[in-house]
Amino acid sequence: MATLTPTLTLTSADATTDQLSFSVTDSLSVTAPHIGLAKLAVSATGANNIIQPATDGQTYYVYVKHTGVDASGSTVTTTMNIELTGDVVIGKLAAGEFMWMPVGGHSLGVQLQASSGTIVAEYAYFTKA
Amino acid sequence: MATTTATLNLSSDMLSSPISISASSILMKAGITEGLELIEMGRGTIAESDGSKTAEFGLPTALGVDKAAKLFLVNKATDPTYYIDIDLHDTNVGRLYAGDWMFIPWGMNDTASELVIEAEPSGATCPYEFVLLQEPQTLEGHS
Repeated sequence: MATLTPTLTLTSADATTDQLSFSVTDSLSVTAPHIGLAKLAVSATGANNIIQPATDGQTYYVYVKHTGVDASGSTVTTTMNIELTGDVVIGKLAAGEFMWMPVGGHSLGVQLQASSGTIVAEYAYFTKA
Repeated sequence: MATTTATLNLSSDMLSSPISISASSILMKAGITEGLELIEMGRGTIAESDGSKTAEFGLPTALGVDKAAKLFLVNKATDPTYYIDIDLHDTNVGRLYAGDWMFIPWGMNDTASELVIEAEPSGATCPYEFVLLQEPQTLEGHS
């Protein structure tokens, strides 16, 4: 069993007149299997871009980043959907953005879908021990 | 226009060589404009006896169509067996165990994207905290 330490920091000097500064961390016990860090050229068909398999009661910690480039390496500004398999949309990432979430306790996996063309995503997932 | 920066660092001793992943991004409106200027923060408590509840923050409406939003949610319970079950309407997404947090993009379009939370297992009580960052929405005239 190993330890995974995720840390999130949110900062803004101008979102409000009082500065936003926020940091949170966690210590997670994780085990195999894990995938990471991997790269995928995401197409506009979510079912073709399943990055995390359906779960069988276990919990996965999932990281996804929109790299801001397409399969040819050209800069893109299109968005990328984060979905559960079956096309259940959670939300969309703009170029450069990332997400971190636990997925599990059910039978659905995670898939990605480009709004058009291709988008290169980076992703990783870890299994809760 | 506001600039809000999110940074994530992941580190682990899982492999013989340490894993270290770092990502930083400026949060964007839908499209390529910087700035999620509507910030909502708060805390609450949900007990297992409450059953499943629609989270009281950022209720999805048609005003959220084609708008960007990011949600941070943390389970502040200290009993490691207590978790918050997260659903998107009727679809289970995952579990936030004590101390765990998530940071996700959230498509707040309609009731199908409502966030539903439930404390588990039997007898559990989970305090939670959240930060919701959104694009400003067009205000409606009063009734």
